[in-house]
Amino acid sequence: MSKHNMSDTVTWLKSAPGLSIVISIVVAVAATIDAGPYLLVNMVVTGGMLALVATGLTLMLGVLNIPMFAHGEYFMIGSLTAYYIFTPISEFILEHPDSWLVTFGPFIAILGALIGGAIAGVISEKLVFGPLRRRSTDNWVMNSFLLTVGVSVLLVNLHQLIFGADFKGIVGYWQGMPISIAGAYISLDRALAFIISAVIVALFYLFMTYTRTGMAIRAVSQDITGAEIVGIDIEKIVMLTISLACALAAVAGGSLLFMYPSYPTVGLEPLYMAWFVVILSGLGNILGAVAGAFIVSLLKVITMEYVGAGWDFVVPSALIMLILIFKPSGIFGSDVRGVLDK
Amino acid sequence: MDTTTNDLNMNLFDRVLDKLCLTPIGLAGLILLLLLPFIPPFNQEYMLRWLIYCGFVAAMSVGFDFTAGYINIVNFGYMAVAGTGGYTSALLVINAGLSPWIAMLAGGVSSAVLGLIIGMISLRLRGIFAACLSWFFGLAVMGLATKMVWLTRGPMGLRTPRLFETESNFPFYFLIIILVYLIYLICKWVVRSKMGLAFQAIAQNMDAARTSGINPVFYRVFNFTMSCAIAGVLGGFYAHFYGILTPDMMHTSKTVEILAVAYIGGRGSLWGGAVVAFPFIFLMEIVRSTLSHLPGLNLVIYALVLILVMIYYPGGFSYFYDTHIRQPKNRALRYFLNGREAKA
Repeated sequence: MSKHNMSDTVTWLKSAPGLSIVISIVVAVAATIDAGPYLLVNMVVTGGMLALVATGLTLMLGVLNIPMFAHGEYFMIGSLTAYYIFTPISEFILEHPDSWLVTFGPFIAILGALIGGAIAGVISEKLVFGPLRRRSTDNWVMNSFLLTVGVSVLLVNLHQLIFGADFKGIVGYWQGMPISIAGAYISLDRALAFIISAVIVALFYLFMTYTRTGMAIRAVSQDITGAEIVGIDIEKIVMLTISLACALAAVAGGSLLFMYPSYPTVGLEPLYMAWFVVILSGLGNILGAVAGAFIVSLLKVITMEYVGAGWDFVVPSALIMLILIFKPSGIFGSDVRGVLDK
Repeated sequence: MDTTTNDLNMNLFDRVLDKLCLTPIGLAGLILLLLLPFIPPFNQEYMLRWLIYCGFVAAMSVGFDFTAGYINIVNFGYMAVAGTGGYTSALLVINAGLSPWIAMLAGGVSSAVLGLIIGMISLRLRGIFAACLSWFFGLAVMGLATKMVWLTRGPMGLRTPRLFETESNFPFYFLIIILVYLIYLICKWVVRSKMGLAFQAIAQNMDAARTSGINPVFYRVFNFTMSCAIAGVLGGFYAHFYGILTPDMMHTSKTVEILAVAYIGGRGSLWGGAVVAFPFIFLMEIVRSTLSHLPGLNLVIYALVLILVMIYYPGGFSYFYDTHIRQPKNRALRYFLNGREAKA
């Protein structure tokens, strides 16, 4: 029995997912020993944020077959909402330092970001994706992609028009001493941002795996006709998927407001990175996206450390192109195809 | 799609027009564009500057449509490819003392090489994956241009000599109009030949195309290389017109601008983007300059038009033209819009 398990493990290690995960763990450990633990902390915090954005992107792509170019803009919406909720809260905290809002105020802001993102998702489904789907589904992938390009330009410039182009940021969510782990100081904000993203990704995974609604979403992603036959309300599932995906991006934006102040094009960097993740990990694979998010953030952090700031688009994109050449379906690629891809 | 017609009923004028891939209305439009800088509101230098930018976008959108409309692959790093051509050309002029005219062609060659590489490595990918690959390629190239400060001076900008020694914009305007037309003509000739049929076969169903003896590798790579070469020459024009190059010109948002014009014009038509670019970009520039206290308003309009066209009229302007304007009852008008049609 144990021998059998051993050979299974060895096969897994030899496969592309095993190999890449092992290599990235080794690289992460080596770099941490070489440069210091702050590198690992950076990687984990960025990776957690990226996992949120990338799972939303994967969801859109896997279930609805929309290659979302506007996902960064939902990140921006999240950070904007959180900013406008948290600014009055922080003023209140200044006057009343003993209030319960000191601890729970940030959570309200992040929750607001989540709700704001979900509402934005519903609105864009109602106004943009729904009409397109009802009119025609031929050449759907390309058409919806161009549509999201339009949505992205629209949202970026609406932000600039209404709220201005300046940085809308905060100093930090939680005041308090940084936590010290193995000689590395982690600010409370970073630690809690990571915990929030970890909890949400875990909840999301459980939701997709065990609840009826999550199963319905996965059913729709595999076969829309079959899902309709067994009585799943497609319109409802589509709406839910879009709002979930947008909420995931927005919550990432909200919880990282202290790192990324809100300005019109704040969403570009998370968008690029999330696309790296999705291409790297293959379509429609949530666990793959989470693993991919950490690999990409490792790539980024290591590039910044050893090559220099500003190279963090060149090196990861070159590596990902290499991967695409040799493994076009991504490292964790699955054969699940989306609904409207015919 | 139209094929070359060697009908004996056509007179010389019609045959020449047919070879030049123009209809009488197209010829009229071209003449109008050439006369435009002499007509009062357009003869001011700043208006001419906008019109040159319109021409640049028009020419880029023709080259973009050559890939997007015919083999159905969106080259999302198109401006980065153009930027490579621009930088190559500018650096050759500055460091090797070449004439800008030759350097522009050299820029085209460098972009063609880049297109060859992108075309080769995106061969196994389809649809959105190929678009992503070219996007990442564009990001990487832009990152390189930003970071190789010793060569490109990075975000500080590279000053380049202009093509003509004058301060006036007139010669540049005529040059870009000629470029738009030449690029259209070359693309149209390729598309009219057997190669065009092969492109469409590959775009619709690659496996079926392969079964009927079309080698998709050759055609896809050829298409990519040619459209990137066009971008490179235009990038050279951009560099030697504005006189300054920054990595910003390679940004994805610039590609989005080209893409929007090409799609609003109508995919797979080649002329649609070129026709739409002039009024559309011009209007956007007017909005941008008159309502400068509302920054971003022109892009909001831009995005709204793109969204509405994609939802309600995905065929774009060329489809609208073909279905509603092209077939009037009046025979003279019909000739004007379509040229002499070959008798069966």
